[in-house]
Amino acid sequence: MKSLRYSLAALALIGTSHAAVAADNLEIIVPFAAGGATDIIARSFEPTFSQQLGVTSVVRNVAGASATVGTAEVANSEGNPNIIGYEPAGALSIQPSLKKLPYGPDSFTYVCRTVSNPMFLMVSKSSDITSFQQLVEKSQDQPFLYGSSGPGTLPHLAMAATVVNSDLKAEHVPYSGSGPAMNALAGNEIQIMADTETILENYDLRPLAVFADHRVAGYEDVPTIEELGLPALDFSVWQGVVAPKGISDERAKQYAEACKATVESDKFKAFADKAKANIAYLGPDDFKAFVQKRFEANKQVLEDAGLMP
Amino acid sequence: MDVILAAAGDAFTWQALLAIVIGTWAGIIIGGLPGLGSVVGLTIFLPFTFGMDVITSMALLIGVYCGSVYGGSITAILINTPGTPQSAATTFDGYPMTQQGRVDEALGWATFASFFGGVFSCVLLIFCAPQLAKFAVNFGSIEVFALVCLAMLCIVGISRGSLLKGLVCGMMGFFFSTVGSDPITGADRFTFGSYALSSGLDLIPVVVGAFALSEVFVRFSARDEEATIIPEARLHFPGLREIGRRLIELVRGSFIGSFVGALPGTGAAAAAFISYAAAQKLSPRRANLGKGEPDGIIASESSNNAVTGSAFIPTLALGIPGDVVTAMMMGAMVIHGITPGVRLMQDQAQTVYALFVVLIIVNVAMLVLSKPSIGLFRYLFKLPLGFVMGGIVMFSFIGAVSVRGNPLDLVVAALTGILAYVLRRGGYPLAPLVIGMVLGPALESSLRRGLLISRGDFLSFFTHSAIATTLFVLIGLFLIWTVTEGVLEWRARVATRREAASAQPVSE
Repeated sequence: MKSLRYSLAALALIGTSHAAVAADNLEIIVPFAAGGATDIIARSFEPTFSQQLGVTSVVRNVAGASATVGTAEVANSEGNPNIIGYEPAGALSIQPSLKKLPYGPDSFTYVCRTVSNPMFLMVSKSSDITSFQQLVEKSQDQPFLYGSSGPGTLPHLAMAATVVNSDLKAEHVPYSGSGPAMNALAGNEIQIMADTETILENYDLRPLAVFADHRVAGYEDVPTIEELGLPALDFSVWQGVVAPKGISDERAKQYAEACKATVESDKFKAFADKAKANIAYLGPDDFKAFVQKRFEANKQVLEDAGLMP
Repeated sequence: MDVILAAAGDAFTWQALLAIVIGTWAGIIIGGLPGLGSVVGLTIFLPFTFGMDVITSMALLIGVYCGSVYGGSITAILINTPGTPQSAATTFDGYPMTQQGRVDEALGWATFASFFGGVFSCVLLIFCAPQLAKFAVNFGSIEVFALVCLAMLCIVGISRGSLLKGLVCGMMGFFFSTVGSDPITGADRFTFGSYALSSGLDLIPVVVGAFALSEVFVRFSARDEEATIIPEARLHFPGLREIGRRLIELVRGSFIGSFVGALPGTGAAAAAFISYAAAQKLSPRRANLGKGEPDGIIASESSNNAVTGSAFIPTLALGIPGDVVTAMMMGAMVIHGITPGVRLMQDQAQTVYALFVVLIIVNVAMLVLSKPSIGLFRYLFKLPLGFVMGGIVMFSFIGAVSVRGNPLDLVVAALTGILAYVLRRGGYPLAPLVIGMVLGPALESSLRRGLLISRGDFLSFFTHSAIATTLFVLIGLFLIWTVTEGVLEWRARVATRREAASAQPVSE
């Protein structure tokens, strides 16, 4: 039994050492596993951001349940001035409508939006479909299948909204991420996918429309959804920084200034360029209004498409 | 040719070689510590790569990846606790060999099989990547479903002797995998209204509980002295004649690993189980499997290390990562301005070739570094048993929580540990539980996606494509084989019993 005591002592030691390290550091929660698209941008954001604030920071990945577990941890840290979250669009503007979560869009102190990329409606280049009209026509005899990176994700919502608002006949097949969905598109298991420029370029796809209110530079011949005779649909993949409620105004201002300086820094710009992330800064008030607006719009799509639980 | 020479030049810089040595060695150690596996290892090293050039950072990460897949076998053999889920199948024959005092031989086979599998898949990657990638694209949901069904039959194979107990554990693992968000509708299942459970049960905490923690409990509760002896381990490589005798096993394991690794959504743990099941049907020494037969170690280790090379096939040829680990590698490439995708091979040929060279050097480094690494574990295991067990508990919990950072995973690991201890006491095999958990999500989502695609018509699965039909025919043959084998065995047993009865002289 002596050996058991050793093991307990060792465990206790580990517990205390962790507690000692955790004090007085800024924790940046990334609600995805390390190495993902959001994590990489967060990790390149972190050094300049903490330098601007003059603190030491650690990126902590808290993954699971469509990024809501990590986001909930930020929301639940009310009043803690040493924790922020680097958040994806879905966790802030879609998931609260779909699930009973311990947070909503009002549960945060908004800091800034960092990047935003419009989404495209695209088909494989090997298909003979070159326009949205053609896609609609061909879907009449046999409905198409569209993929997504999971149920309740932006690619899912963008296509669901398109189907509801047009004559396009298409059904949803969710995958566990953009990669597997691209595999399915390459094997013609699915025919349509909505995603960003990064996906479009990497996998040699053909864009048929863009989910934005204006045509996008570099893709001038790709019409917007509104131009195709549909109601204006605005879907973009964006990320931003949020802090918990109940932090001091001074701290919130420090965060906001540090974020602005980071997004404008050459280092972050160079990185964003490489990762094809489109810098789209919004300050605290604009970001808050933006999230609220997206939350309402997405909720409407979910209701129209019959996806509300 | 110039490209290949230039690529070799990129790979043979002192920075890259140093990164390979550090990465591989750290990978072996991390893989060997129960609980810490490939994903945790890569998470630790990923931030270090931000300041490096692309080849050096990939060298470091590939080293950690390949090293960790091999390292898992060391603890699997020494103390019956796989360091990573990928090495779970190595315990079946590795630990019995240790108990028989053949630990040196077991480690030698594990090391050589890992090296062989790694190099085999590198060669395949270099010469056939585009063709194999094209083939992998044809593996849609229905084909994956057929493949997973075939793999599920492993549960039947691996739990021979107590089929019912094996099925109970397999179903339990399958059920564990259904907790959390539904993969198709996103609705919560079996969460009992608990928000913490909505992220589901992760594989690592369950594996840590089932193998590492239950092993600790078993050792603490063991009355006999024998269970507490930790072996004096050295490394004894097999001789050329021995390798020649088992070459066919090495090739089969490597081939299965390379094949499974190139497909989306399966991975090294599944490959090792499938390969082990194949050895159970095809090895000439199959009667000894599970009792300390090197063929079992070869089947498991050659296939899981073959995955390391072939997992890069879809990643490099199509930009589609096959599993979490290659997804992280792709992330690291993006940081350095390399965009994985269909044009990577054309646009960045030199970088891609340099990665091939790095993969081969990593496998050689693994072979060289195996000796000092095992030496280190030998030294660690000389410590008083309490420290060793305490360390295992500690690393198990660190590993369980560091994958997702979710405190729930600590509870899951502890509860699985207790459950696994009870199951072991009752003679239930734990491997089917892990197989159920590894293959469960793939089986469920491929079936449901397949039904969406075929619009609810299950019968059309059988005729969906040539690949699907072939796989379903194989499943049929496998079932017929298993049943016939069972019937023949039973008849032989009945016959010998009858003979024995009739040979018995009548005493009254």
